[in-house]
Amino acid sequence: MIEALTAQWSVEWWGVALAGFSTLAIFSFLLGENPVFRLFEHLYIGISAAIGIMITVQTFFWPKLLKPLLGLDIIILADGTPSAPYQSAQLLYLFPMAFGSLYYFILSPRRAWLAQLVIGFSLGVAGGFAFKAVFNEFLPQLYDSFRPLYIPGSPGASVSNLIFIVTLLSSMTYFFLTIKQPPGGALSRVALSGRWLMMGCFGSFFGATIMARMALLVERLQFLVITWWGQMSALW
Amino acid sequence: MNRFLYLLENIDRRVIYLFVVGALLWPLLSKKPLQPAPMRSADSFFEVIESHTPKAGEIALISIDWGPSTIAENGSQTKVLIEHLFRKNIPFAVISITPYAAPFLESLPKEIAATLTDFPREYGKHWVNLGYQPNPTISIQGIAKSENLIQTLKTDASGTPLSEIPVMQGVRTLENIPLFVQVTGLVGTFNTWLQFLQRGEFRPIFLHGCTSITIPEAHIYLASGQIKGLYEGLAGAAAYEWLMSERFPGRAVGDALIQNTSLAIAQLLIITLIIIGNAGRLLRMITGRSQ
Repeated sequence: MIEALTAQWSVEWWGVALAGFSTLAIFSFLLGENPVFRLFEHLYIGISAAIGIMITVQTFFWPKLLKPLLGLDIIILADGTPSAPYQSAQLLYLFPMAFGSLYYFILSPRRAWLAQLVIGFSLGVAGGFAFKAVFNEFLPQLYDSFRPLYIPGSPGASVSNLIFIVTLLSSMTYFFLTIKQPPGGALSRVALSGRWLMMGCFGSFFGATIMARMALLVERLQFLVITWWGQMSALW
Repeated sequence: MNRFLYLLENIDRRVIYLFVVGALLWPLLSKKPLQPAPMRSADSFFEVIESHTPKAGEIALISIDWGPSTIAENGSQTKVLIEHLFRKNIPFAVISITPYAAPFLESLPKEIAATLTDFPREYGKHWVNLGYQPNPTISIQGIAKSENLIQTLKTDASGTPLSEIPVMQGVRTLENIPLFVQVTGLVGTFNTWLQFLQRGEFRPIFLHGCTSITIPEAHIYLASGQIKGLYEGLAGAAAYEWLMSERFPGRAVGDALIQNTSLAIAQLLIITLIIIGNAGRLLRMITGRSQ
Protein backbone atom coordinates (compact mmCIF):
# COMPACT_ATOMS: atom_id res chain seq x y z
CA MET A 1 0.00 0.00 0.00
CA ILE A 2 2.89 2.39 0.84
CA GLU A 3 4.41 1.67 -2.61
CA ALA A 4 1.06 2.42 -4.25
CA LEU A 5 0.78 5.69 -2.33
CA THR A 6 4.24 6.89 -3.34
CA ALA A 7 3.77 5.70 -6.93
CA GLN A 8 0.60 7.77 -7.18
CA TRP A 9 2.26 10.82 -5.63
CA SER A 10 0.55 13.59 -7.57
CA VAL A 11 -1.36 16.67 -6.49
CA GLU A 12 -4.50 15.44 -8.33
CA TRP A 13 -4.38 12.04 -6.59
CA TRP A 14 -4.06 13.59 -3.15
CA GLY A 15 -6.70 16.18 -4.03
CA VAL A 16 -9.26 13.47 -4.82
CA ALA A 17 -8.27 11.41 -1.75
CA LEU A 18 -8.57 14.40 0.60
CA ALA A 19 -11.86 15.55 -0.97
CA GLY A 20 -13.35 12.08 -0.39
CA PHE A 21 -12.26 11.95 3.25
CA SER A 22 -13.54 15.50 3.83
CA THR A 23 -16.94 14.62 2.32
CA LEU A 24 -17.21 11.53 4.53
CA ALA A 25 -16.21 13.59 7.58
CA ILE A 26 -18.99 16.09 6.89
CA PHE A 27 -21.49 13.27 6.17
CA SER A 28 -20.61 11.75 9.57
CA PHE A 29 -23.00 14.31 11.05
CA LEU A 30 -25.84 12.07 9.82
CA LEU A 31 -24.86 9.62 12.55
CA GLY A 32 -24.82 12.38 15.15
CA GLU A 33 -22.64 15.22 16.43
CA ASN A 34 -18.96 14.16 16.58
CA PRO A 35 -15.45 15.73 16.83
CA VAL A 36 -14.44 14.71 13.27
CA PHE A 37 -17.40 16.62 11.82
CA ARG A 38 -16.58 19.65 14.01
CA LEU A 39 -12.93 19.65 12.89
CA PHE A 40 -13.79 19.53 9.18
CA GLU A 41 -16.56 22.11 9.61
CA HIS A 42 -14.06 24.58 11.10
CA LEU A 43 -11.53 23.77 8.38
CA TYR A 44 -14.20 24.47 5.75
CA ILE A 45 -15.11 27.85 7.24
CA GLY A 46 -11.46 28.87 7.53
CA ILE A 47 -10.58 27.77 3.99
CA SER A 48 -13.66 29.52 2.52
CA ALA A 49 -12.71 32.82 4.17
CA ALA A 50 -9.07 32.49 3.11
CA ILE A 51 -9.94 31.69 -0.53
CA GLY A 52 -12.10 34.83 -0.80
CA ILE A 53 -9.25 37.04 0.44
CA MET A 54 -6.52 35.31 -1.58
CA ILE A 55 -8.42 35.41 -4.86
CA THR A 56 -9.20 39.11 -4.42
CA VAL A 57 -5.52 39.85 -3.76
CA GLN A 58 -4.22 37.49 -6.45
CA THR A 59 -6.58 38.37 -9.32
CA PHE A 60 -7.42 41.99 -8.61
CA PHE A 61 -5.58 43.86 -5.90
CA TRP A 62 -2.05 42.90 -6.97
CA PRO A 63 -2.21 42.68 -10.82
CA LYS A 64 -4.72 45.45 -11.50
CA LEU A 65 -3.98 47.94 -8.71
CA LEU A 66 -0.66 47.59 -6.88
CA LYS A 67 1.48 46.28 -9.75
CA PRO A 68 0.71 49.16 -12.16
CA LEU A 69 0.85 51.65 -9.29
CA LEU A 70 4.34 50.55 -8.35
CA GLY A 71 5.35 50.37 -12.02
CA LEU A 72 6.12 46.64 -11.72
CA ASP A 73 4.21 45.86 -14.92
CA ILE A 74 6.80 47.77 -16.93
CA ILE A 75 9.47 45.48 -18.37
CA ILE A 76 12.98 46.78 -19.04
CA LEU A 77 13.88 45.75 -22.59
CA ALA A 78 17.28 44.41 -23.70
CA ASP A 79 18.40 47.87 -24.82
CA GLY A 80 17.65 49.24 -21.32
CA THR A 81 14.50 51.14 -22.29
CA PRO A 82 11.17 50.54 -20.48
CA SER A 83 8.41 48.66 -22.37
CA ALA A 84 5.95 51.49 -21.62
CA PRO A 85 6.14 54.84 -19.84
CA TYR A 86 4.91 54.99 -16.25
CA GLN A 87 1.34 56.33 -16.14
CA SER A 88 1.52 58.93 -13.38
CA ALA A 89 -2.29 59.36 -13.51
CA GLN A 90 -2.45 56.03 -11.67
CA LEU A 91 -1.22 57.82 -8.55
CA LEU A 92 -4.76 59.23 -8.30
CA TYR A 93 -5.78 55.76 -7.05
CA LEU A 94 -4.02 56.66 -3.80
CA PHE A 95 -6.71 59.20 -2.86
CA PRO A 96 -9.69 56.78 -2.78
CA MET A 97 -7.42 54.15 -1.20
CA ALA A 98 -6.46 56.56 1.59
CA PHE A 99 -10.08 57.65 2.05
CA GLY A 100 -11.29 54.03 2.18
CA SER A 101 -8.57 53.15 4.70
CA LEU A 102 -10.14 55.62 7.13
CA TYR A 103 -12.68 52.85 7.78
CA TYR A 104 -10.11 51.14 10.02
CA PHE A 105 -10.44 54.02 12.50
CA ILE A 106 -13.62 52.25 13.59
CA LEU A 107 -11.26 50.34 15.89
CA SER A 108 -10.20 53.56 17.65
CA PRO A 109 -12.76 54.92 20.15
CA ARG A 110 -11.35 58.49 19.85
CA ARG A 111 -11.07 58.67 16.04
CA ALA A 112 -14.12 56.57 15.12
CA TRP A 113 -15.73 59.65 13.54
CA LEU A 114 -13.24 59.29 10.65
CA ALA A 115 -14.71 55.86 9.86
CA GLN A 116 -18.18 57.42 9.84
CA LEU A 117 -17.12 59.60 6.88
CA VAL A 118 -16.46 56.44 4.84
CA ILE A 119 -19.65 54.78 6.06
CA GLY A 120 -21.69 57.89 5.18
CA PHE A 121 -20.12 58.05 1.72
CA SER A 122 -20.81 54.33 1.14
CA LEU A 123 -24.43 54.72 2.26
CA GLY A 124 -24.91 57.64 -0.14
CA VAL A 125 -23.47 55.68 -3.06
CA ALA A 126 -25.50 52.58 -2.17
CA GLY A 127 -28.67 54.68 -1.91
CA GLY A 128 -28.07 56.11 -5.38
CA PHE A 129 -27.46 52.65 -6.81
CA ALA A 130 -30.57 51.29 -5.10
CA PHE A 131 -32.65 54.00 -6.75
CA LYS A 132 -31.39 52.98 -10.19
CA ALA A 133 -31.73 49.29 -9.31
CA VAL A 134 -35.41 49.63 -8.42
CA PHE A 135 -36.19 51.23 -11.76
CA ASN A 136 -34.24 48.69 -13.81
CA GLU A 137 -35.40 45.60 -11.94
CA PHE A 138 -38.92 46.23 -10.70
CA LEU A 139 -40.49 48.55 -13.26
CA PRO A 140 -40.56 45.88 -16.02
CA GLN A 141 -42.21 43.53 -13.50
CA LEU A 142 -44.74 46.21 -12.62
CA TYR A 143 -45.58 46.74 -16.31
CA ASP A 144 -45.92 42.97 -16.67
CA SER A 145 -48.54 42.86 -13.92
CA PHE A 146 -50.96 44.84 -16.14
CA ARG A 147 -52.26 41.83 -18.00
CA PRO A 148 -55.44 41.49 -20.08
CA LEU A 149 -58.03 39.23 -18.45
CA TYR A 150 -59.44 38.15 -21.78
CA ILE A 151 -57.27 37.16 -24.73
CA PRO A 152 -59.41 36.31 -27.78
CA GLY A 153 -58.76 32.79 -29.08
CA SER A 154 -56.58 31.79 -26.15
CA PRO A 155 -58.63 30.57 -23.19
CA GLY A 156 -55.58 29.03 -21.49
CA ALA A 157 -53.70 32.34 -21.44
CA SER A 158 -56.84 34.14 -20.23
CA VAL A 159 -57.24 31.74 -17.28
CA SER A 160 -53.51 32.01 -16.51
CA ASN A 161 -53.72 35.81 -16.44
CA LEU A 162 -56.84 35.68 -14.27
CA ILE A 163 -55.07 33.45 -11.71
CA PHE A 164 -52.09 35.80 -11.82
CA ILE A 165 -54.19 38.92 -11.13
CA VAL A 166 -56.24 37.26 -8.36
CA THR A 167 -53.02 36.01 -6.67
CA LEU A 168 -51.34 39.40 -6.99
CA LEU A 169 -54.27 41.39 -5.58
CA SER A 170 -55.12 39.01 -2.75
CA SER A 171 -51.46 38.69 -1.68
CA MET A 172 -51.13 42.49 -1.66
CA THR A 173 -54.34 42.78 0.35
CA TYR A 174 -52.81 40.53 3.03
CA PHE A 175 -50.10 43.16 3.55
CA PHE A 176 -52.52 46.10 3.92
CA LEU A 177 -51.73 46.29 7.59
CA THR A 178 -52.83 49.91 8.02
CA ILE A 179 -56.47 49.19 7.13
CA LYS A 180 -58.67 47.44 9.65
CA GLN A 181 -59.80 44.07 8.34
CA PRO A 182 -62.84 43.01 10.44
CA PRO A 183 -63.06 39.21 10.78
CA GLY A 184 -65.55 37.73 8.31
CA GLY A 185 -65.52 40.89 6.17
CA ALA A 186 -64.81 40.91 2.43
CA LEU A 187 -61.35 42.41 2.88
CA SER A 188 -60.28 39.82 5.44
CA ARG A 189 -61.57 36.98 3.22
CA VAL A 190 -59.50 38.29 0.30
CA ALA A 191 -56.49 38.64 2.61
CA LEU A 192 -57.01 35.09 3.86
CA SER A 193 -57.09 33.74 0.31
CA GLY A 194 -53.87 35.72 -0.32
CA ARG A 195 -52.34 34.02 2.68
CA TRP A 196 -53.28 30.58 1.37
CA LEU A 197 -51.92 31.38 -2.07
CA MET A 198 -48.64 32.49 -0.47
CA MET A 199 -48.59 29.21 1.46
CA GLY A 200 -48.73 27.43 -1.92
CA CYS A 201 -45.78 29.54 -3.05
CA PHE A 202 -43.79 28.69 0.10
CA GLY A 203 -44.60 25.02 -0.51
CA SER A 204 -43.11 25.26 -4.00
CA PHE A 205 -40.02 26.96 -2.49
CA PHE A 206 -39.71 24.11 0.01
CA GLY A 207 -40.08 21.46 -2.71
CA ALA A 208 -37.47 23.24 -4.82
CA THR A 209 -35.12 23.36 -1.82
CA ILE A 210 -35.41 19.60 -1.34
CA MET A 211 -34.67 19.12 -5.05
CA ALA A 212 -31.55 21.33 -4.78
CA ARG A 213 -30.26 19.51 -1.70
CA MET A 214 -30.86 16.17 -3.39
CA ALA A 215 -28.93 17.36 -6.45
CA LEU A 216 -25.97 18.20 -4.18
CA LEU A 217 -26.14 14.70 -2.72
CA VAL A 218 -26.22 13.10 -6.19
CA GLU A 219 -23.04 14.95 -7.19
CA ARG A 220 -21.25 13.99 -3.97
CA LEU A 221 -22.33 10.35 -4.25
CA GLN A 222 -21.17 10.25 -7.86
CA PHE A 223 -17.81 11.63 -6.75
CA LEU A 224 -17.51 9.26 -3.79
CA VAL A 225 -18.60 6.08 -5.54
CA ILE A 226 -17.11 6.56 -8.98
CA THR A 227 -14.13 8.96 -8.69
CA TRP A 228 -12.96 8.55 -5.11
CA TRP A 229 -13.67 4.87 -4.54
CA GLY A 230 -12.38 4.06 -8.05
CA GLN A 231 -9.07 5.65 -7.06
CA MET A 232 -8.86 4.34 -3.51
CA SER A 233 -9.81 0.76 -4.38
CA ALA A 234 -6.78 0.61 -6.69
CA LEU A 235 -4.61 0.68 -3.55
CA TRP A 236 -5.73 -2.80 -2.56
CA MET B 1 -52.25 -3.75 13.04
CA ASN B 2 -51.73 -0.74 15.31
CA ARG B 3 -48.06 -1.67 15.77
CA PHE B 4 -47.58 -1.85 11.98
CA LEU B 5 -49.22 1.54 11.52
CA TYR B 6 -47.06 2.96 14.31
CA LEU B 7 -43.96 1.65 12.52
CA LEU B 8 -45.08 3.28 9.27
CA GLU B 9 -45.25 6.62 11.05
CA ASN B 10 -41.96 6.22 12.88
CA ILE B 11 -39.47 4.83 10.38
CA ASP B 12 -35.93 5.42 11.70
CA ARG B 13 -34.35 8.38 9.88
CA ARG B 14 -31.18 6.33 9.18
CA VAL B 15 -33.30 3.79 7.29
CA ILE B 16 -34.73 6.65 5.21
CA TYR B 17 -31.18 7.92 4.51
CA LEU B 18 -30.20 4.45 3.31
CA PHE B 19 -33.24 4.22 1.04
CA VAL B 20 -32.51 7.68 -0.42
CA VAL B 21 -28.84 6.87 -1.00
CA GLY B 22 -29.86 3.59 -2.66
CA ALA B 23 -32.36 5.38 -4.92
CA LEU B 24 -29.75 7.96 -5.89
CA LEU B 25 -27.02 5.39 -6.51
CA TRP B 26 -29.00 3.00 -8.66
CA PRO B 27 -29.05 5.15 -11.87
CA LEU B 28 -25.47 6.31 -11.23
CA LEU B 29 -24.22 2.73 -11.23
CA SER B 30 -26.54 1.32 -13.90
CA LYS B 31 -25.78 4.35 -16.16
CA LYS B 32 -29.21 4.21 -17.79
CA PRO B 33 -30.62 7.73 -18.06
CA LEU B 34 -34.32 8.42 -18.49
CA GLN B 35 -35.53 11.04 -20.94
CA PRO B 36 -36.05 14.29 -19.02
CA ALA B 37 -39.40 16.04 -19.13
CA PRO B 38 -39.40 18.81 -21.77
CA MET B 39 -39.10 22.30 -20.26
CA ARG B 40 -40.33 25.37 -22.09
CA SER B 41 -37.82 27.59 -20.28
CA ALA B 42 -34.88 25.37 -21.34
CA ASP B 43 -36.27 25.22 -24.90
CA SER B 44 -36.27 29.01 -25.14
CA PHE B 45 -32.73 29.17 -23.67
CA PHE B 46 -31.58 26.67 -26.31
CA GLU B 47 -33.36 28.55 -29.11
CA VAL B 48 -31.74 31.87 -28.16
CA ILE B 49 -28.24 30.36 -28.37
CA GLU B 50 -29.13 28.37 -31.47
CA SER B 51 -30.39 31.42 -33.37
CA HIS B 52 -27.67 33.78 -32.13
CA THR B 53 -25.32 34.87 -34.91
CA PRO B 54 -22.76 37.37 -33.62
CA LYS B 55 -21.31 39.98 -35.98
CA ALA B 56 -17.56 40.44 -36.29
CA GLY B 57 -16.16 42.00 -33.12
CA GLU B 58 -19.06 40.83 -30.94
CA ILE B 59 -18.82 38.39 -28.06
CA ALA B 60 -21.17 36.78 -25.53
CA LEU B 61 -20.51 37.45 -21.85
CA ILE B 62 -20.89 34.48 -19.49
CA SER B 63 -20.95 35.22 -15.78
CA ILE B 64 -20.11 32.10 -13.78
CA ASP B 65 -21.20 33.14 -10.31
CA TRP B 66 -21.11 29.86 -8.46
CA GLY B 67 -18.65 27.91 -6.37
CA PRO B 68 -18.15 24.35 -5.15
CA SER B 69 -21.32 24.47 -3.03
CA THR B 70 -23.65 24.54 -6.06
CA ILE B 71 -21.45 22.70 -8.58
CA ALA B 72 -24.00 19.86 -8.74
CA GLU B 73 -26.53 22.01 -10.60
CA ASN B 74 -24.61 25.02 -11.89
CA GLY B 75 -21.64 22.92 -13.03
CA SER B 76 -23.72 20.79 -15.41
CA GLN B 77 -25.55 23.89 -16.68
CA THR B 78 -22.34 25.79 -17.41
CA LYS B 79 -20.65 22.84 -19.11
CA VAL B 80 -23.46 22.23 -21.59
CA LEU B 81 -23.80 25.99 -22.24
CA ILE B 82 -20.08 26.36 -23.04
CA GLU B 83 -20.23 23.30 -25.30
CA HIS B 84 -23.14 24.86 -27.19
CA LEU B 85 -21.26 28.16 -27.61
CA PHE B 86 -18.19 26.29 -28.90
CA ARG B 87 -20.27 24.21 -31.33
CA LYS B 88 -22.10 27.32 -32.60
CA ASN B 89 -18.77 29.15 -32.92
CA ILE B 90 -19.94 32.00 -30.70
CA PRO B 91 -16.90 33.77 -29.19
CA PHE B 92 -17.31 34.48 -25.49
CA ALA B 93 -15.75 35.90 -22.35
CA VAL B 94 -16.16 34.31 -18.92
CA ILE B 95 -16.29 36.56 -15.88
CA SER B 96 -17.40 36.32 -12.24
CA ILE B 97 -18.44 38.49 -9.33
CA THR B 98 -17.94 35.55 -6.91
CA PRO B 99 -14.37 34.73 -5.80
CA TYR B 100 -15.10 31.01 -5.41
CA ALA B 101 -15.79 30.77 -9.15
CA ALA B 102 -12.26 31.83 -10.15
CA PRO B 103 -10.84 28.28 -10.56
CA PHE B 104 -13.86 27.23 -12.67
CA LEU B 105 -13.49 30.21 -15.02
CA GLU B 106 -10.09 28.79 -15.88
CA SER B 107 -10.80 25.05 -15.91
CA LEU B 108 -14.31 24.59 -17.39
CA PRO B 109 -13.82 26.07 -20.91
CA LYS B 110 -10.46 24.25 -21.20
CA GLU B 111 -12.07 20.98 -20.10
CA ILE B 112 -14.90 21.32 -22.66
CA ALA B 113 -12.53 22.44 -25.45
CA ALA B 114 -10.41 19.33 -24.84
CA THR B 115 -13.42 17.07 -25.47
CA LEU B 116 -14.31 18.72 -28.80
CA THR B 117 -11.59 17.14 -30.88
CA ASP B 118 -13.47 17.59 -34.20
CA PHE B 119 -13.12 21.37 -34.14
CA PRO B 120 -10.35 22.60 -31.87
CA ARG B 121 -11.09 25.62 -29.72
CA GLU B 122 -8.27 27.83 -28.58
CA TYR B 123 -7.90 30.22 -25.62
CA GLY B 124 -7.66 33.82 -26.76
CA LYS B 125 -9.08 33.04 -30.19
CA HIS B 126 -12.45 31.58 -29.19
CA TRP B 127 -12.78 32.61 -25.56
CA VAL B 128 -11.18 34.77 -22.89
CA ASN B 129 -11.18 34.61 -19.11
CA LEU B 130 -11.82 38.07 -17.63
CA GLY B 131 -11.48 36.68 -14.11
CA TYR B 132 -13.07 37.61 -10.82
CA GLN B 133 -14.25 41.22 -10.50
CA PRO B 134 -14.64 42.46 -6.92
CA ASN B 135 -17.35 44.91 -5.87
CA PRO B 136 -20.10 43.73 -8.25
CA THR B 137 -22.06 46.98 -8.49
CA ILE B 138 -19.02 49.11 -9.39
CA SER B 139 -17.55 46.47 -11.74
CA ILE B 140 -20.80 45.95 -13.67
CA GLN B 141 -21.38 49.71 -13.95
CA GLY B 142 -17.79 50.02 -15.19
CA ILE B 143 -18.46 47.50 -17.96
CA ALA B 144 -21.82 49.07 -18.84
CA LYS B 145 -20.52 52.64 -19.06
CA SER B 146 -17.09 51.94 -20.55
CA GLU B 147 -16.17 53.55 -23.88
CA ASN B 148 -13.24 51.14 -24.20
CA LEU B 149 -13.64 47.80 -22.45
CA ILE B 150 -10.05 46.80 -23.19
CA GLN B 151 -8.83 49.80 -21.21
CA THR B 152 -11.41 49.36 -18.44
CA LEU B 153 -10.73 45.66 -17.82
CA LYS B 154 -7.01 45.92 -18.71
CA THR B 155 -5.94 42.26 -18.50
CA ASP B 156 -7.33 38.74 -18.54
CA ALA B 157 -7.23 36.56 -15.40
CA SER B 158 -3.60 35.54 -15.99
CA GLY B 159 -2.39 39.12 -16.51
CA THR B 160 -2.16 39.15 -20.34
CA PRO B 161 -3.19 42.57 -21.69
CA LEU B 162 -6.59 42.32 -23.38
CA SER B 163 -5.19 44.31 -26.33
CA GLU B 164 -3.10 41.21 -27.16
CA ILE B 165 -6.07 38.80 -27.06
CA PRO B 166 -7.64 38.26 -30.54
CA VAL B 167 -11.20 37.56 -29.36
CA MET B 168 -11.34 40.98 -27.65
CA GLN B 169 -10.35 42.90 -30.77
CA GLY B 170 -13.37 44.86 -31.89
CA VAL B 171 -15.04 44.75 -28.47
CA ARG B 172 -15.28 48.39 -27.44
CA THR B 173 -18.51 48.94 -25.51
CA LEU B 174 -21.38 46.95 -24.04
CA GLU B 175 -23.08 47.22 -27.43
CA ASN B 176 -20.53 44.70 -28.72
CA ILE B 177 -21.92 42.19 -26.17
CA PRO B 178 -25.41 41.36 -27.47
CA LEU B 179 -25.78 38.20 -25.35
CA PHE B 180 -25.34 37.82 -21.60
CA VAL B 181 -25.72 34.59 -19.63
CA GLN B 182 -25.46 34.31 -15.88
CA VAL B 183 -25.32 31.01 -14.00
CA THR B 184 -25.58 31.15 -10.23
CA GLY B 185 -26.85 29.53 -7.07
CA LEU B 186 -26.62 32.73 -5.05
CA VAL B 187 -29.57 34.99 -4.38
CA GLY B 188 -28.81 38.61 -5.19
CA THR B 189 -26.14 38.15 -7.84
CA PHE B 190 -28.44 37.86 -10.86
CA ASN B 191 -30.38 41.01 -10.02
CA THR B 192 -27.14 42.97 -9.67
CA TRP B 193 -26.35 42.16 -13.31
CA LEU B 194 -29.94 42.90 -14.32
CA GLN B 195 -29.97 46.23 -12.53
CA PHE B 196 -26.72 47.63 -13.89
CA LEU B 197 -25.77 45.91 -17.17
CA GLN B 198 -27.42 48.50 -19.38
CA ARG B 199 -25.97 51.27 -21.56
CA GLY B 200 -28.54 53.95 -22.37
CA GLU B 201 -31.37 52.12 -24.08
CA PHE B 202 -29.18 49.13 -24.93
CA ARG B 203 -29.43 45.97 -22.88
CA PRO B 204 -28.06 42.58 -23.99
CA ILE B 205 -30.36 39.56 -24.27
CA PHE B 206 -30.35 38.03 -20.78
CA LEU B 207 -30.33 34.29 -20.10
CA HIS B 208 -30.15 32.81 -16.63
CA GLY B 209 -29.25 29.50 -15.01
CA CYS B 210 -30.30 28.99 -11.40
CA THR B 211 -30.36 26.26 -8.78
CA SER B 212 -33.63 24.57 -7.86
CA ILE B 213 -34.00 26.72 -4.73
CA THR B 214 -34.28 29.94 -6.71
CA ILE B 215 -36.54 28.64 -9.51
CA PRO B 216 -39.75 30.28 -8.17
CA GLU B 217 -37.91 33.61 -7.92
CA ALA B 218 -36.32 33.28 -11.38
CA HIS B 219 -39.73 32.70 -12.97
CA ILE B 220 -40.67 36.30 -12.11
CA TYR B 221 -37.93 37.51 -14.47
CA LEU B 222 -38.94 35.00 -17.15
CA ALA B 223 -42.62 35.95 -16.99
CA SER B 224 -41.83 39.67 -17.22
CA GLY B 225 -39.58 39.11 -20.24
CA GLN B 226 -36.45 40.35 -18.44
CA ILE B 227 -34.79 37.04 -19.29
CA LYS B 228 -35.42 35.15 -22.51
CA GLY B 229 -34.54 31.68 -21.28
CA LEU B 230 -33.96 29.85 -18.03
CA TYR B 231 -32.09 26.77 -16.86
CA GLU B 232 -34.09 25.36 -13.95
CA GLY B 233 -31.63 23.50 -11.75
CA LEU B 234 -30.38 20.06 -12.65
CA ALA B 235 -33.62 19.24 -14.49
CA GLY B 236 -33.01 22.25 -16.75
CA ALA B 237 -29.46 21.12 -17.48
CA ALA B 238 -30.74 17.60 -18.32
CA ALA B 239 -33.42 19.00 -20.66
CA TYR B 240 -30.72 21.08 -22.36
CA GLU B 241 -28.44 18.03 -22.65
CA TRP B 242 -31.28 16.22 -24.39
CA LEU B 243 -31.82 19.09 -26.82
CA MET B 244 -28.07 19.20 -27.53
CA SER B 245 -27.95 15.47 -28.26
CA GLU B 246 -30.87 15.84 -30.69
CA ARG B 247 -29.22 18.81 -32.40
CA PHE B 248 -25.69 17.35 -32.45
CA PRO B 249 -26.06 13.55 -32.72
CA GLY B 250 -23.03 11.56 -31.64
CA ARG B 251 -21.84 14.02 -29.01
CA ALA B 252 -20.67 12.63 -25.66
CA VAL B 253 -23.52 12.97 -23.18
CA GLY B 254 -22.65 14.79 -19.93
CA ASP B 255 -23.49 13.89 -16.33
CA ALA B 256 -26.72 15.91 -16.10
CA LEU B 257 -28.97 13.20 -17.61
CA ILE B 258 -27.80 10.47 -15.22
CA GLN B 259 -27.90 12.81 -12.22
CA ASN B 260 -31.41 13.95 -13.17
CA THR B 261 -32.54 10.31 -13.35
CA SER B 262 -31.17 9.76 -9.82
CA LEU B 263 -33.00 12.86 -8.68
CA ALA B 264 -36.30 11.72 -10.21
CA ILE B 265 -36.11 8.28 -8.55
CA ALA B 266 -35.18 9.77 -5.16
CA GLN B 267 -38.07 12.22 -5.41
CA LEU B 268 -40.48 9.38 -6.18
CA LEU B 269 -39.17 7.62 -3.09
CA ILE B 270 -39.67 10.73 -0.94
CA ILE B 271 -43.23 11.16 -2.24
CA THR B 272 -43.89 7.48 -1.48
CA LEU B 273 -42.50 7.87 2.05
CA ILE B 274 -44.64 10.96 2.65
CA ILE B 275 -47.73 9.03 1.49
CA ILE B 276 -46.81 6.01 3.67
CA GLY B 277 -46.22 8.19 6.74
CA ASN B 278 -49.48 10.09 6.29
CA ALA B 279 -51.44 6.92 5.44
CA GLY B 280 -50.18 5.36 8.66
CA ARG B 281 -51.35 8.35 10.68
CA LEU B 282 -54.70 8.49 8.90
CA LEU B 283 -55.36 4.76 9.39
CA ARG B 284 -54.44 4.98 13.06
CA MET B 285 -56.83 7.90 13.50
CA ILE B 286 -59.61 5.90 11.76
CA THR B 287 -58.94 2.70 13.75
CA GLY B 288 -58.65 4.73 16.97
CA ARG B 289 -62.06 6.29 16.34
CA SER B 290 -63.73 2.97 15.50
CA GLN B 291 -62.37 1.46 18.73
